[in-house]
Amino acid sequence: MNAKSVQTAKSAFRGYYFNAKAVVEQLGKIEQREFGYMQFGQAGMVRHLSFRVMGELTAALVREVPSDVYCSNAYYRFPTAPMQEKQWLGADLIFDIDGKDLELPCIPSHSYAVCAGCGHASAPAPEKEKGKEYSCLSCGSKKIERVSIPCGKCIEGSKKEVRLLMEFLTGDLGIQKENINIYFSGNNGFHVHIADDSYVALDSSARSDLAGYISGTGLMAESVGVRKGKAENLAFIKFPASGLAYGWRSRIAHKLKIDSSSVIRLKNIVEQKGGYAAFKAELEMMAREMGVRIDPQVTTDVHRVFRMPGTLNSKSGLGKVRCDDLDSFDPFVDACILGDGKVNVKIKTPVKLKLKSKSYNISKESAELPSHVAVYLICKGLAEAI
Amino acid sequence: MGTGDLAKYPFLNEAGKYLRESGFGWEELDRPDMRDIIERAAERVEVEVSGNVYEKLDRYEIEILTFLVTLIMVKSIAFEPVLRKYALAEARRAEKFLIEDLKRQNDAQKRSLFPKIFDEIFKLKIDVAKDGRLFKVTVTDYLSRSSHFHEQEWKMINRLVDKGYVYLDADETVRLVRHELSVLIYDKVKAMTLPTLPQAIRTRADELKARLAPRYEYRAYTVTDYPPCVKHALEVMGRGENLPHSARVMLATYMLAIGKPIDEIVMMYQNAPDFNEKITRYQVEHLAGLKGSRTKYSVPSCEKLLNENLCFATEECSGIVNPIQFGRRRRKLQQE
Repeated sequence: MNAKSVQTAKSAFRGYYFNAKAVVEQLGKIEQREFGYMQFGQAGMVRHLSFRVMGELTAALVREVPSDVYCSNAYYRFPTAPMQEKQWLGADLIFDIDGKDLELPCIPSHSYAVCAGCGHASAPAPEKEKGKEYSCLSCGSKKIERVSIPCGKCIEGSKKEVRLLMEFLTGDLGIQKENINIYFSGNNGFHVHIADDSYVALDSSARSDLAGYISGTGLMAESVGVRKGKAENLAFIKFPASGLAYGWRSRIAHKLKIDSSSVIRLKNIVEQKGGYAAFKAELEMMAREMGVRIDPQVTTDVHRVFRMPGTLNSKSGLGKVRCDDLDSFDPFVDACILGDGKVNVKIKTPVKLKLKSKSYNISKESAELPSHVAVYLICKGLAEAI
Repeated sequence: MGTGDLAKYPFLNEAGKYLRESGFGWEELDRPDMRDIIERAAERVEVEVSGNVYEKLDRYEIEILTFLVTLIMVKSIAFEPVLRKYALAEARRAEKFLIEDLKRQNDAQKRSLFPKIFDEIFKLKIDVAKDGRLFKVTVTDYLSRSSHFHEQEWKMINRLVDKGYVYLDADETVRLVRHELSVLIYDKVKAMTLPTLPQAIRTRADELKARLAPRYEYRAYTVTDYPPCVKHALEVMGRGENLPHSARVMLATYMLAIGKPIDEIVMMYQNAPDFNEKITRYQVEHLAGLKGSRTKYSVPSCEKLLNENLCFATEECSGIVNPIQFGRRRRKLQQE
């Protein structure tokens, strides 16, 4: 990002924070949280900050105009102390669903290669060049960042994962719907925050177990009644005494069309798959596919600073905003919260995008665009301000 | 709760209440008819320290007194590993009775047992599932305990989970609190202040201590018994110089392992330039497994200390892999 682009993005962000006092969400127990932020054009994060009230925080946002703002999900006795001296008091349970982790087939068709060295950008790779190692056409560097302008399918893919996560949270875990807050991440995914005090005290290993449950990791064949026989790869069927009525056992039973009386049917299934080991491997794969694609590290980390609701994401200039109605939520409208003032930009590669319900198909080298479009392209590394 | 339950679970508050109400005094333990109790207690401690569960079960009056005398004896023996083994074996004994009770009793009896043992002592709410056979605990109560077990079957994905509850059978329910049972008994001994012991108990406890000493006495430390890495850390602290975080962790975990009281450990850091008693105490308690994740940290290995430039090995260190073994070796050589 050149100096002019930094200035343009920063000015748009300042405009938002200046008027956004009511938009940046009130945080519970603000005085016990650690805050951090990144600055435009600078590496590294400023961390270990603390604010007593929201007013102090919003004043800092207007003053500093950070590129990204983070807030701990953890509560500390001394939020500004070095990590080992903070005295951890608990942490909200959080989930991160990132569109890029879903490996959707549409991604290559709207991904751009941006050179980390010279900033040169090139259009989505043609079908025949897919999978080839890419070098920058301008400087030859192999340090390439893949930048994606998510399409409707990407957003729908992430929403599907959020809906599945909701099923686990409200069904298996019994969390009340009103205690589940869904946010668009500000770029290409969703963040889910749980406001349920009973989860606050859980340590990292308990959260890791929970993340494993949600993502379908670690399911044993024995849990659904398939036990290892004495000889290599032999299996026998013995259903758990507690049955298959709920949770993962019920999901798998449903998928395999069995119940606690289907000894012969399950035995046949195991034999068809090729014995104990083959069934076990297939079961593990099945569970992963049926689980939610969350980032387990985010859920497990009890000291993370996580993007703060109501703030802007410098990967896109979109906001991390609440989704009250997931079905109707359109991030390119509802999270597109920067202004409409005109900005002149140099376009690095032809791009197509749709923001605030208006489609842009830009093939010219330079263009005058509304601020929210210009900043989106600058943040993506696909344009520079002139 | 019946008196039979007090015999099996003499650590319950109600057992203490029974003793107070019966007007029991320490001096009574010197009465000739108490000799059997003292013998029984000594036998129980010996069996348990050898790693076994003491199986005998008598009337509640006898069991409550026997338990009390075992607590006094273990406190008086004052070897940390003896206390740990005793606490674990007592927990396993109670666990065995609990499983039997949960399997045998009817719903009403089960429901009366839970509030006493699980809720009152471990703050764990357990309910009987609709079928009357399984028990249910909340997902968070389950996770906060089970996630420290290593077996894959305890991963929540391998459990029956529905609407915020995890369903368990009797054995599994009790297994969930084994560690807490052990901590409860450990804490009971730690919190005791011994009065002047009745002669009968003192004699028997001294005999036991003499027998256990060759195995455990090396942990009764003196300053000269500290390994050189610990000595170095103490010297740096004594000079009021800054000690790296990893060295502070080593010092605290070592002191905890040899049974130093937390108060004393905290004060070892008072010369540190950045000393803050509140923070230090929290951190030492954290390492002791009393705060935060409840994991008790072990002393870093010699190899780890070497990599962190915290090892100041002398000849006497040869053959040890952890600083905690240092004193043990020295004592053995002296005995030879």
